[in-house]
Order: sequence, then C-alpha cells, then structure tokens
Amino acid sequence: MLFTPVFSCYRTVQFSYEGESIVGIAEFFQHLMNGLTLGGIYALIALGYTMVYGILKFINFAHGDVLMVGAYVGLFLFDLFRGSSPLGLWTIIAFFIAMIISMAFSALLGMFIERVAYKPLRKATRLAPLLSAIGVSFILSNSAAWMFGTHSRKFNYPFDNTPLHLGDVVITPHQVLILVVSLAMMIILKLFIDRTRMGKAMRATSLDQGTAMLMGINVNRIISLTFAIGSALAAVGGILIALDFKVYATMGTMTGLKAFVAAVVGGIGNISGAMFGGILLGLLETFGVAIFGIPTGLKDTIAFGVLIIILLVKPEGLFGKVEKEKV
Amino acid sequence: MKKSLFVLLAILAVLSFPAFAQGGGESASPKIGFMGPMSGDYANYGVLSNNSAMLAVEQFNAKGGFGGKLPVVLVTEDSEGRVEKGLSSIEKLSSSDKIVGLIGPVLTGTSFAVGERVQNEGIVMISPSATHADITNIGDYVFRTVVSDGLQGEVAGHYFYDKLGYRTIGVLYAKNDYSQGLYEGMSAAFEAAGGKVTIAEAFNVGDKDFKTQLTRIRSANPQAIYIPNYTAEMAQILEQASQLGMKIPFLSCDGFSNPDIYKLAGEFTNGVIYVGPAKVKESPAFSTFVSQYTAKYGVGPDSFATNAYDGTNILLAAMDKVYKASGKFDRKAIRDAVAATKDYPGVSGIVNFAENGDLVAYQGLYKVNKTTPEYLGTFTVVDGKLVQID
Repeated sequence: MLFTPVFSCYRTVQFSYEGESIVGIAEFFQHLMNGLTLGGIYALIALGYTMVYGILKFINFAHGDVLMVGAYVGLFLFDLFRGSSPLGLWTIIAFFIAMIISMAFSALLGMFIERVAYKPLRKATRLAPLLSAIGVSFILSNSAAWMFGTHSRKFNYPFDNTPLHLGDVVITPHQVLILVVSLAMMIILKLFIDRTRMGKAMRATSLDQGTAMLMGINVNRIISLTFAIGSALAAVGGILIALDFKVYATMGTMTGLKAFVAAVVGGIGNISGAMFGGILLGLLETFGVAIFGIPTGLKDTIAFGVLIIILLVKPEGLFGKVEKEKV
Repeated sequence: MKKSLFVLLAILAVLSFPAFAQGGGESASPKIGFMGPMSGDYANYGVLSNNSAMLAVEQFNAKGGFGGKLPVVLVTEDSEGRVEKGLSSIEKLSSSDKIVGLIGPVLTGTSFAVGERVQNEGIVMISPSATHADITNIGDYVFRTVVSDGLQGEVAGHYFYDKLGYRTIGVLYAKNDYSQGLYEGMSAAFEAAGGKVTIAEAFNVGDKDFKTQLTRIRSANPQAIYIPNYTAEMAQILEQASQLGMKIPFLSCDGFSNPDIYKLAGEFTNGVIYVGPAKVKESPAFSTFVSQYTAKYGVGPDSFATNAYDGTNILLAAMDKVYKASGKFDRKAIRDAVAATKDYPGVSGIVNFAENGDLVAYQGLYKVNKTTPEYLGTFTVVDGKLVQID
C-alpha cells in the first residue's frame, strides 16, 4: 500500500496528483506537527554530540546513555517530590526541580566519564577514545538494566496533557514544551558560546588546544565544562523523551544514533546546524513514511540513508565548514 | 544446570528401573518420548512439562501398566531449545529407542522441524505448548493440547463483525510472528464474514513512536482499530492515539491480559475490548493434579505442564486401547486412536481434537472498564460460525 486514498469527512481540500487524492490538508499538518516535535528531540540531543565534537574532534558514543541515566534520575526524583499530589502547580515545580537536579547529576557523570575514560586517551590514536566511548555506553546501559530491570517505566506527565485542537490538527502541551525547550536551549547555548568569556575560551580550545593553553586557558577545565553542558542537555532531552516514550535501559541507543546523524547532517561541530539537522531528520522520517510511501518497516533506515548520502555528497554537513587537514 | 540435569536423569533412571525389572525378558515394553529444552534459557518450560510426563507415566505404571503387566518407559531428550539438537534427538528417539509416541516438543521453532520428521516416520506427536497456527498443518500425526494462535484471530474477526457490528477495521501490528499471525488470522475471518480491513500499518519491534501510523489510520477513519501486540507497545499506542485526539475504539489480543498494561497505560485502557484466555471452572481433577505435582517436584505446574499431563495421559490411553485390541503397539493404530479421542476428561478441561489435530478450545472476551477487565463471555468458532459457550 503506497498512497492511501482518503475518503473521510475530515477535509475539504486535498493534495491531488493526477486526480488521485494523496493526503488531506489536516493530515498533512498533523504529520508536520509530529515531524517537528520528533525533530526537536533529535536536535536537543544532537547539540551535545556537536559540542563535544567541536572541541575534541571526538564522537561521544556514550551520550545516549547519559541521556538514559538522566531520565532515570529525573523519574525517581519526580516521583519522590510529587508523592501522590494531584496535577497542579506543585507537580510542575517538582518536575522542574527534578529536571535541574538530574541535569546537575548528569553533568557530574559526564565530567567523571571524561576524566576516567577519555582524558587518559587524549594523546592516543583517534580510534582509542572512540572505542572507550562505546565501552562506556555498554557499561551504562547494562548497569541500568541490572539495577532497574529491563521493563519500561512510566514517567507521568506533570501537567494536564489533554490535546489542543486547532481545527483538525491536534497538538499536545508536551509537544509545545519540546519545541520551546529545544529552541530555548539552542539560543542559550549559542549566546553562551558567542558572548561569554567561557564561550570564547571554548572556541579557542576548539581551534587549537596548544595555542589556547599558551594563552593561559585551562584547557582541561574547558573540556570538563563541555562535557558538563553536553550531559546536562542530554538529561533534559532524556526527561522530555521519557514523558512520551517511557524510561528503559536502552532508550538512549537508537535516539542517540539518530541524533548523531542529525549532528552530522547539520555539520558536526556547528550548533545551529545540529538544530537544523534534527528538525530536518524528524520531518524526513515522518513524511518519508506518510507521504513518500516508504514502508513503515523501513522508517529507521531513512536516517541512516540520509547519513550515507550526506557523507558522500557533502561530508562537512549542510552548515559545516570545509576543514583543511592539520599538518 | 548440570546438577539439575543430573538429578533429573537420576529420577528417570530410578523410574525406569522397575520398568526394566518388571519387563524382564519381555522386550515388548513400549517406549514413549518427551522432548523439550531441559537446559539453556528456556529450560524451565521443558523441565516443568517433563515433570508432568513423568508423573503421568508413574501413575500409569503404578496401576499395572498395559494389560496389568506391561509398564511404559519414558525417554526424555533435551532439545536445548535448538532446532538442530531437536532433529538429532528425534533421530535417536525414533530409530534407537523406537518410541511409539512423542510428547513435545515444547517450543514452536523445534516443533516445526521435529513435526516434519515424526510425520515422515509415522510417530504420533502431541505438543503441550507450540501455539503457532501452522504447526498442525504439518500433517495428520501432529496434535497439540494447547490453543492455536489461529483460533484467537478467528474468534476476534467473527466477534468484531457479528457482536460488535464493525464493518471496517484498521490494524496496527508489529513485525514479529505473534503480532503478524494474529493480524492475518483476524483479517481473514473478518473479511470472510463480510467486513473490510481498510488500513493495516506495521512497525518494527522496539519502536516507540507510532504517531505517523496512527495519523494515517485516523485519516482512513475505520470504525475500530485492532492492535495485536505486547503490553509495552500497546500502552504507547493507546496514549499516543489519545494525544492525536482519536476517539476510535481499540480492540486487542491476549497480550492485553497481562496486568502490566494498566501500570503502563493507566486509564487509556478504558473501553478496550480484547480476546484472552477463556475462564475455566477449576475441576477437582485439576486440584488433585496440582497437589500431586507440587508434592512430588516442590513447584507447581505452569499451563504448559498441565497440557503435557493431559497429552501424556491421552497418548497412554490410546496405546492401551490399541494394545487391548491387537496385543501390539502399532504406530499408525496409536495415531488413529489419539485422533479418535472424544471428550477426554483432562485436568485442563474436556479435550477434543479437531480434524487437523488442533485442540478444540475456547477464547474469552473482555472489556476494560477504566483499568478493570470485565468478562463478556466464552466463545469459539465452529465451521466458520461464532458460537458462545456461556
């Protein structure tokens, strides 16, 4: 079944192709909404990948698992704070307190991982920290499965998630939250890197670690800071996903990989690129299946197909700069 | 694992010793086989069902065996839950032990492979637990004392059409044997009755986001949506459907009878109608079996072990009938006697076999009120017609 003809009372206007209806206006905007929120999540996580890569030229494959730990911490704290109180102002406050503590915890975890698993390998071959990252990823997800079990846990919404109807298009408060938070995080991050002294130091470290050190920048501290910020963002992403997709030990694996693809598509190391890549990937996945007739079973292959095409055609990504090989 | 296997073999040896002793010079002591995973990840299924076979054999021999003098010998083979091991096991059982009937295999995959072999060798096989609809299509030597997945789909399709009055249904299923099998079974029955599956959307095992598929189903606007999946996916689907503002009723399968669904989906389960296990009145025979089993093995039987107990007793009864009539244990005659089983009073209920070797069985229908399933009745399908039992 490629194109599903639509005959319902929902819509009056339809996109037509040689007289055959393909998809209605309402359905189109619904898919657009679904794609944007999916993309917002990818973008949020892609920010963490892109930051670490920008500074260290190294892909932190444990990023998705830090996200998972962040989600578990957020879940436990929220349930603890909330107790049995009904939805209301307090549950929203409890949710944000849980999120902030989880961000702090994940930031410490990220710094710890960097210190233990990556720093000793900074002078080793480029492959070594990559393998170490994969190892950390397995350690985190297997420990979580061992400690918390392999079943999914429900992260209850801290607010009333009754969908809002905009005509025939439906949007939930949670979807709005995802879009707002992703956008806000991106802007804050961009301002931080462009406008603050710390950010300047980060950019300097990213350009040339040796020279940055000679200029009096504490490179180790900057790298720790990078991991702290990236991991804190991962925790936010984890908690936002958990509201929709539940919490389980391998939740970071596939989402993490797709966010990585988003970062590469946008141009790895580039903050706005990661945001753009994430949204683009979310839209491609949704519309690829919904409109272009890619079988639903192949949904996950869209992301990786895009990755291959980008690597072949424009390896620096849509927003990336071509870098000259350092001699 | 090694140790428990050793204990098991020891029990087997002790059990079969008096058999040899009594059999003495008479080489005619008939053998039956049991095959299932006795080690590995699925060992628990195999061990529990093998216990049942041993219990049934022991009780049969204690009553004097065939004609009051000839005990039966049970040979247990470990399939390790692997097809290759199952094939070499059936080779040994068939040619070296010369068994006249087989209880098992326990797992569906092994049953497909071993079923082909017993069909060719002409040995009757009764599986306590292989549920895939196609198992009994292998041939006329293959029987089972467990409900086929096919019946569930059939009852679902007919019930949705006849009782709920739906004419169009959308389906959202996972790409695995279980989900896809139920989808195909339900669709066949529903369309044969005159309904139409207007849209069928698939997803991969492990997916968490179903909004694309649900949005497409919403646009196709069927009267109801059938979601034959496991709890984790169904909870996700119900919640996201509500986020998309969908008010279409949801229909489901026995996966919904796992109480975990209410933890994951909460009140999104309200109104879901699903096909699940039929409620059985607990018979005195069942409680006797459970207490004897528990006293002997220290653990209670699972539902497969209960089925294995009935299967073994049915096989022994058939052998007894053939022996009384002919004084021999002819494999073909035993198969015919098993097929002729009529209203056998088993511990799991009254057992009858359909033409194809399937257990004649029933399904229960449930409707969820908030987070509590309410029983709607017991149904089965006879000659393509839905029949309510009570």
